[in-house]
Amino acid sequence: MTTATVSRWDRFRESFFWYSFKRDKVAVISFVVLMLMVLSAVFAPLLAPADPYDLAQIDILNSELPPVGLDGSDPAFPLGTDAQGRDLLSTILYGTRVSLMIGFGAVVLQAVLGILFGLLAGYLGGKIDAVLMRIADVQLSFSTLMVAIIVGAVFKASFGNLMFGEIAIYMLIFIIGVAEWPQIARTVRASVLAEKKKEYVDAAKVMGFGTPRIMFRHILPNTLSPIFVIATVQIANAIISEAALSFLGLGMPETQPSLGSLIKSGFDYIQSGSWWITLIPGLVLVVLVLVINLLGDWLRDVMNPRLYKG
Amino acid sequence: MALLEVKNLDVRFAVRGGDLTALRGISFTLDKGERLGLVGESGAGKSVAAFSILNLIAKPGYIAGGQILFEGRDLAAMSERELRKIRGNRIAMIFQDPMMTLNPVLTIGTQMVEAILAHRKISKKEARAIALDRLQKVQIPSPEKRLDQYPHELSGGMRQRVIIAIALLLDPEIIIADEPTTALDVTIQAEIMDLLLNLCEQENVALMLITHDLGVVSQVTQRMLVMYSGRIIEQGPTREIINDAQHPYTQGLINALPQMGEPGARLFQIPGSMPSLKNVPTGCPFHPRCSFATDHCKRAMPEYVRSGNVDVACYEVANLIEQEKRMQEAES
Amino acid sequence: MLAFLVQRISQAVLVMFVISLIAFAIQDGLGDPLQEMVGMSVSAEEREAIREELGLNDPFLVQYLRFAGKAVQGDLGNSYFYSKPALEVIAEHLPATLELVIGASLMIIFLSVPIGVYAAIRPQAWLSKFFMGVSTVGISIPVFLTAIVLIQLFSIGVTVSWFPDDTGWGQWLNDFFTTEGGLPSYGRGDDLVHLFGTWESGLFTAEGLAHLILPCVSLASIMLPLFIRLIRAEMMEVLQSDYIRYARAKGLAAGRINFLHALKNTMLPVITVGGVQIGIMVAYTILTETVFQWPGLGLMFLEAITRSDIPLIVAYLMVVGLIFVITNTLVDLIYGLVNPTVKLTGKKA
Repeated sequence: MTTATVSRWDRFRESFFWYSFKRDKVAVISFVVLMLMVLSAVFAPLLAPADPYDLAQIDILNSELPPVGLDGSDPAFPLGTDAQGRDLLSTILYGTRVSLMIGFGAVVLQAVLGILFGLLAGYLGGKIDAVLMRIADVQLSFSTLMVAIIVGAVFKASFGNLMFGEIAIYMLIFIIGVAEWPQIARTVRASVLAEKKKEYVDAAKVMGFGTPRIMFRHILPNTLSPIFVIATVQIANAIISEAALSFLGLGMPETQPSLGSLIKSGFDYIQSGSWWITLIPGLVLVVLVLVINLLGDWLRDVMNPRLYKG
Repeated sequence: MALLEVKNLDVRFAVRGGDLTALRGISFTLDKGERLGLVGESGAGKSVAAFSILNLIAKPGYIAGGQILFEGRDLAAMSERELRKIRGNRIAMIFQDPMMTLNPVLTIGTQMVEAILAHRKISKKEARAIALDRLQKVQIPSPEKRLDQYPHELSGGMRQRVIIAIALLLDPEIIIADEPTTALDVTIQAEIMDLLLNLCEQENVALMLITHDLGVVSQVTQRMLVMYSGRIIEQGPTREIINDAQHPYTQGLINALPQMGEPGARLFQIPGSMPSLKNVPTGCPFHPRCSFATDHCKRAMPEYVRSGNVDVACYEVANLIEQEKRMQEAES
Repeated sequence: MLAFLVQRISQAVLVMFVISLIAFAIQDGLGDPLQEMVGMSVSAEEREAIREELGLNDPFLVQYLRFAGKAVQGDLGNSYFYSKPALEVIAEHLPATLELVIGASLMIIFLSVPIGVYAAIRPQAWLSKFFMGVSTVGISIPVFLTAIVLIQLFSIGVTVSWFPDDTGWGQWLNDFFTTEGGLPSYGRGDDLVHLFGTWESGLFTAEGLAHLILPCVSLASIMLPLFIRLIRAEMMEVLQSDYIRYARAKGLAAGRINFLHALKNTMLPVITVGGVQIGIMVAYTILTETVFQWPGLGLMFLEAITRSDIPLIVAYLMVVGLIFVITNTLVDLIYGLVNPTVKLTGKKA
């Protein structure tokens, strides 16, 4: 395989990619919305009217103000305030930031674990394969959310509330990453098994390349498209898992809220009529997860080799 | 009147960015009890032609024009409801791969009985008796037992026997067999083909045999069609075509057959490969691979000309006939 | 059949062994039971004496064997909070969760099969596109959020006055978007029927059923889109297969082809995946029960975590593990019975 053919192939795929992206209105809109959300989360400190982490800026007298347009609203708080008097728009911007960080971080960890274990299981086979896939099976049958809840509960109990709160972001990345690795490992393993039979692997073996080199330099690049597709969907899953853990009180503390903990803290006030504290962050969460899922669906359609049949 | 008469059949596939033409101007006839061979490379449109007769082309394929007259009624214009009464009943089909054709979760008996009950108002018991009779006809060992077995319990050859038995269930007029032995072990291919031919002869059923195997066609069929890139390029009595093929493509196909009794002889190969549906060349689709091709061939699809009892679509053949005629006129 | 059972049971024992090991490691590593049992006033010597008496100073393996030996006899220790055997506490909470799961499962089965099949047979119909769109959105909504929205709409109620009230259409639209609320969203209600043992059922009274509606819909909402998409995808793949085309070539009626030939093949993978989903459903009961304060296992587990009620946490893990093992075995058994190509030896024939 020469460099010229590789780059031409890449160029073709990029152009096909671009072509089908342009054609798909849903994909374009999802991408634009996602980019807007990511950018506003990244630049939250610049965009947010207030800093929700700064206790000095909070006035409890401003608590439970409704969004603009409803009776009793204050134009200083366009989306209203929460029960502690924090500006909801600011907490949502910061919360989206935390949710996205955990989502990306957890998927990076999953991908590292999943690719490593998937490659090992698929390429080496035998006992390693059997053990790794057995663990993956049990973990999946227990459901990743259940594993995350148990691990989260154990961590919280052993670190104590305060300590857990301080390192919660890293804990959540770790918990979700560890709970979800089988998803990626299985995908990688399946494509490795398919790739392993192909001639170029035999050729590499004949040329005397070592196992790690064949695994990472020859097989891995050919399994990237399915990894890419599943990683996209996994970001959405990780964000939902984080929200679920936070909602159960096993995630981000209220002082450093994610979208999930915002929903949780707002839920206590829904019966008193302050629906916006929980439902507006909820809406943001749904939109975020939805656009990622829609992009994932689109990617699956574009990259699915089955569609190349004709 | 022929039993089946296909007139100018066009089949297209609706895909993004316009339609692809899979079959163009297909015309042929099939008489009662006749055996017709349909040959060509894979991708020539043989299977599409076979499936379009009962309007079973997989989506996004559709019949874009032409007529399929069965006993004078146009199948192409028939409602799904009407067509269903003909499928399996008057015209039966045999698919290529017996491993994929039978439903894996239903017993052989169920799959046979349901086919009868779809067309006859009789009891399940009577239907089962017919099924048993047909299984005996295809010489399956212990037929009674087979009725309660699932497909995976049978070998490939046995499954294809079952499928032949299903084809015969309702005493059809026509059986369309799409490469019925290709997926089987070489050792039992001949066995299954003999069985099929004998039964068709016994029951006086017309057989339309789709295959890429010229050897089989030359042995068992009375007439044959040669397809290339969605068109019939030559058709006529099998013996005449095999002995004296007119179209350069057919000649190539016949020359490509290994010659018996000539060990060490080089195998002939037609240079190039058949174009895909996406970029069919203009004019005669064979011209890029044809050693006789002229500019004329690139411009327009040749009309059929008759040479003996054979219809051929080729300018070169037309020219030769023309020359011959002129020479004869000059002599007289 | 016997070989299948032996194989499954030995597998189940192995899985339960691993779970018990994990559960015990959690118990061993987490917190100090003494803190829960005795007050601050007890001296260090007295503590040490109690530790020795309780066997807390023995090696890990000895403690595990003691734990496992008791567990086999149905003794998973006493809950700190309830001050009674942990299994008894679980038995009291189990029926509420079971009724929730059964209700949600029925909703999922009776909605996902017809919708999935319809969307596969008529992929171009606007109704199919509508269902697929709704399920794409549905997959992106976390279960607790669905629950909160349901509470807002059907328990608290929403009054809409966006449209001019003095016009007929405005009034109609306002009325259309206004919801009454009033459905219960807290607990199981008081009108429960005692069935047997610890089973107090809400299935037989109007009040009990009313309390079930919102939690069941919430729990079903997360699985329903998954199942609809799964059934549709599997069915569409089956419809492409040769044997379906062959069934058409035999002249069978569309109904028989779709609902016998295709559906039976579609349901095989769906059964397997469905079995895995049961596990995920148990995880979601924790979320659902938290939102609705549903007095089932999930809520009990979460409360046990906040109360550091370790024996109860451990007992919950063991029981949930057992439920998974049993359901997975049942799913395999059903799969084997439905799929003729599988002989019940656990291997493909």
